[in-house]
Amino acid sequence: MSQITGEAYQRRLERLAAHPAMANDNVTLPKGSWTGAARALIGLGVAGLLMTVAGAFVYNAKHAVASYSVGVLCVTAISLGALFWTMVFHQTNAGWHATIRRQLENIMMNLPLCVGLIAVMLIVELASGGLLFSWMRPEYADSPLLTAKRSWLNEPFLVVRFFIYAGVWTLLATKLYRFSVDQDRTGDRFLNNRARFTSAWGLLAFALTTGFFAFDFIMAMDFRFFSTMWGVYYFASGPFSCMAVLLIVTGMLRLRGRLTGVVGNEHVHDMAKLLFGMNVFWAYIAFGQYFLIWYGNIPEETAWVVYRKQGGWENLAAVLAIGHFLIPFLILLLRPVKRHPALAAAAGAWLLLMLVMDMFWLVRPMVYTPASGLKSPGPGAMWVDLAAIVGVGCLWAGVLARRIASGPLIPLKDPRLPEALDHRNYV
Amino acid sequence: MAFADYFPLPQKWIPRGLRSKPCRHFMPDGSPMYGVVAEYDTAASVYHAAEKVRDAGFKAWDMHSPFPMHGVEDAMGFERTKLPLMVGVVALSGAAAGYLMQWWITAVDFPVTVQGKPPGAWEPFIPITFEVGVLSSAFAALFGMLAMNGLPRFHHPLFKSERFLASSDDKFFIAIEAHDEKFNPEGVRRLLESTGASRVDLVGAE
Repeated sequence: MSQITGEAYQRRLERLAAHPAMANDNVTLPKGSWTGAARALIGLGVAGLLMTVAGAFVYNAKHAVASYSVGVLCVTAISLGALFWTMVFHQTNAGWHATIRRQLENIMMNLPLCVGLIAVMLIVELASGGLLFSWMRPEYADSPLLTAKRSWLNEPFLVVRFFIYAGVWTLLATKLYRFSVDQDRTGDRFLNNRARFTSAWGLLAFALTTGFFAFDFIMAMDFRFFSTMWGVYYFASGPFSCMAVLLIVTGMLRLRGRLTGVVGNEHVHDMAKLLFGMNVFWAYIAFGQYFLIWYGNIPEETAWVVYRKQGGWENLAAVLAIGHFLIPFLILLLRPVKRHPALAAAAGAWLLLMLVMDMFWLVRPMVYTPASGLKSPGPGAMWVDLAAIVGVGCLWAGVLARRIASGPLIPLKDPRLPEALDHRNYV
Repeated sequence: MAFADYFPLPQKWIPRGLRSKPCRHFMPDGSPMYGVVAEYDTAASVYHAAEKVRDAGFKAWDMHSPFPMHGVEDAMGFERTKLPLMVGVVALSGAAAGYLMQWWITAVDFPVTVQGKPPGAWEPFIPITFEVGVLSSAFAALFGMLAMNGLPRFHHPLFKSERFLASSDDKFFIAIEAHDEKFNPEGVRRLLESTGASRVDLVGAE
């Protein structure tokens, strides 16, 4: 790149701007579009969250917090997946991704929202003295399994760690987003180099913060349980679910007559391949973790699994094995499905449902444990879960829709755009 | 070339349907003909020539270039390969066979309790099922690809032509084989000359 003079590069940008696919009404939504939908989604989200609060009074606060956590963990996984892909594509200098990157960045920029939602979760736990985070409760203070972990599981350090996770994610997301938006304006091609440099240390910081976030906010709900694979297990939910959202978003934009010749079926094919591959990765990690616990047969670990293989939860585990892995695996193996925008988006939507099931299976059994002394109100109380998950999801989607409509749908002056516009899979 | 030509076996060992077809065209000296080969100087000219050969309806022909050319599969009118289907079938049946093998050995034929685990538990079977699936799909992909390409082979009639060696240097070639339904030496020569070939030669099969 560096041997291209500024003048020659300006001419190249002019040629790019004259490309028929780069016409203004193809790469931007009309002013004011999607505002109604975004407002409706945010309203629905707030209503869902209010219903969750009502559920806390009808049943108990622990149930409501657990339902809310399921929703928050899902949308955080998706947003983290977008941050992951943005950095991976910058780091590998991937040419084909240039036309889909702005949507990835839009999803990624929901991370500050996710941080806020997590902060609410943390404040509730701290104020209530540990509804789900049982290690905060005084009755377990003398448990030898907890005293050994006290240097990690204590409130001040948890708050410090939360600020580290929140800071790293927000910093990375806003930094990368700003590079991309600045490039729209200035056309400075060296912003890609800076984004690439940021991604290099960013991926390392991302891996550590995501892993330890999963330790603190999911695994620590049962302080006796431990799995060194846990960070990867939670991370594995991100990349495929983000690709699912990306397929749905680009599909909707194409239905609106946008992105013609910009995001074609070749891009859909690649996104669906990543959806397929990262879903298999999830299955690999999920089985690998379960398998070692099964073989090792250590009571602290097996208790966690055994509890999720009884009392009806074994049905959900079967749904995950079949619905999250087996059926999508066989369907997404087929090339025509991966190259069909609607079918690929439908597979993505199904996998988003399975993401919710997965998080539900992890978090929700913690509510009515025998030790909690709470009596399960039965399936009638599921409306709280539905309200919380749909509420958080709609809030997240509404904020995303507003951001998508507010700017160009692709990075307008990325030097890799010509390559991405001509992208083809030669297989 | 027929499938059987790739294997140095006596014809009577080969199933009737796969045997070599008798040669219909002969060189001026009376020896069997492999086909007609045309030489091109640029990638663009051979690309457009391939489109014309494709549109003329030939099936048994190939193109040779010193480097990979993007989009040439469309110019040559390639159909999608059946290899993925073969790999899929072999992989799934291989994985199923791997699972059944372990299940039969450890749960039916010779159950031994190890670490107090139930003999028919599915968990320990999964890694080996996966590995057998991967191994059989890799074999199916490699050997299926080799068989469908007629590989390995030790010699090819085109290598007899000194000029053809330039296909790994700076020249491009199209070779139409004599066993193609539409093949006749004069018509093929006229077609290839009309596509801008710098030279057209007959090639013997032996």
